[in-house]
Amino acid sequence: MNPKLILSVVLLGALIGAGALLYPTNQTQVAAPVNATGHAQLISNDRPAGGDFTLTGVAGEHSLSDFKGKLVLIYFGYTFCPDICPTNLGNLSVAYRGLSQAQKDNLQILFVSVDPERDTPQRLQQYAGYFEANVLGLTGTPDTLAQIAQRYGVVYAKVDDVNNGSNYAVDHSAFTYVVDAQGKLLTQLPHATSPDDFIAAIQLYQPKP
Amino acid sequence: MKTIKTIQKTITLLSFSLLSVLSSANALASQADDIEITEPFAREVPPGAPASASFMTLENISDAPIKIISAQSAVSKVVELHTHTNDNGVMRMRQIPFIEVPANGMAFLKPGGLHIMLIEPINPIKQGQTVSVTLTFEDGSQKQVDMPVKSFMSKMGQMNGHSKVAE
Ligand SMILES: [Cu+2]
Repeated sequence: MNPKLILSVVLLGALIGAGALLYPTNQTQVAAPVNATGHAQLISNDRPAGGDFTLTGVAGEHSLSDFKGKLVLIYFGYTFCPDICPTNLGNLSVAYRGLSQAQKDNLQILFVSVDPERDTPQRLQQYAGYFEANVLGLTGTPDTLAQIAQRYGVVYAKVDDVNNGSNYAVDHSAFTYVVDAQGKLLTQLPHATSPDDFIAAIQLYQPKP
Repeated sequence: MKTIKTIQKTITLLSFSLLSVLSSANALASQADDIEITEPFAREVPPGAPASASFMTLENISDAPIKIISAQSAVSKVVELHTHTNDNGVMRMRQIPFIEVPANGMAFLKPGGLHIMLIEPINPIKQGQTVSVTLTFEDGSQKQVDMPVKSFMSKMGQMNGHSKVAE
C-alpha cells in the first residue's frame, strides 16, 4: 500500500474517531462525505436535529413524513458490510418477531445505504427483505445522504485503498436512530442492541393506544 | 551393584529429559498442533451480499505466542484477516497482517471484532452448510477448520435449523 494512501486513511480515521467521541456524549454533530479523498469536515452545532428527508426505494421515493403516526427506527449502513449491519439488522429481526401485531403495525424500520455507488434500490430491497422485519431499503445521491447524515449525526466514509478494488469497506456509525410518531428524533440506540432491548425501546417510544 | 543401578537410572532419566528437550525444540510440535479451536461458525449472507464473516475461539496451549498469518478457503475468491474497532459507535473494519493467540491464552474471533472475511463467495453461503477454512501459522503449519453456517437472524445460533422461524 502506498504511504500516501495509508496516511489519508489514518488521518480520516483520526478525524472520524475524534468526531465520534463528541456526539454521543454531548452536542456536537459530525458528518464526513462518502469519499475519503480529502474533504472530510467537522461540523459542530447543537445536538442532531433530525428532521424530514426524502430518499429512493425500489418502489420510488419515500419521505420520513410518510410514516407519521408510527415509530420509525433508522439504521445507516451498506449491504457489502459483512458483520456490523447484519448483526444489528439480525437483532432487529429477532425483536420484530417478538412484537404483537399492533406493535408491528405501528413501526417502520428504514435501512439507509450510505454506499449508493454499489447499493441500488433493487439490491437494497432484496437485502432488506431477507431480514423479515418489514425493513424498507432506501438510498439517495451522495449529496442528499451527506445532508441527512449531518442532520442525524451519522458518520460514514469509504475506506479508500487501491488494494480493495470494488471490495472497499465503508466506516460507518452503527446507531439505530429512534424517531417518534411526529417525526422527531428522540434518541439513538448503540450498535448490536439486543433484541430484548429493541423491544423495550419500541414499547417505550411507540405511541400509546 | 547399587552404584551401577543408580548410574543406569540417572542415564535413563537424562536421556528422557534430553529427548523431551529435543522434541519441544524441533519442529515435531507445529504451531498448528498447539492451537485448539472451538465454536467456529460462518454467517449466512443475505442475497447479493458479497462478503461473509467467520468466527471462532482459539486457544494456544504452548508457551509462546502463535500468529495466524493467512487463511484460505475454497468457498470464496478472497479470504482475509480483519478486525473491527468501535470508536464510540463508528465501526471501522481493517485488514490486518496477522491474528496473534497469546502464549497459554485465547483469541476470540467474534461479531464486532476480529474475523476471517470470506469475500466474493463462489456459491451463496447458506445456513445448514459447512464451510472449510484453512489457517496458516507463522511456521508454515496449517489447520483446517470446518465451520457450520449460521443465520444472521438467529440469536447467535440459539435458533438453529430453519431461518423462517414459525411464531
Ligand atoms: Cu471484514
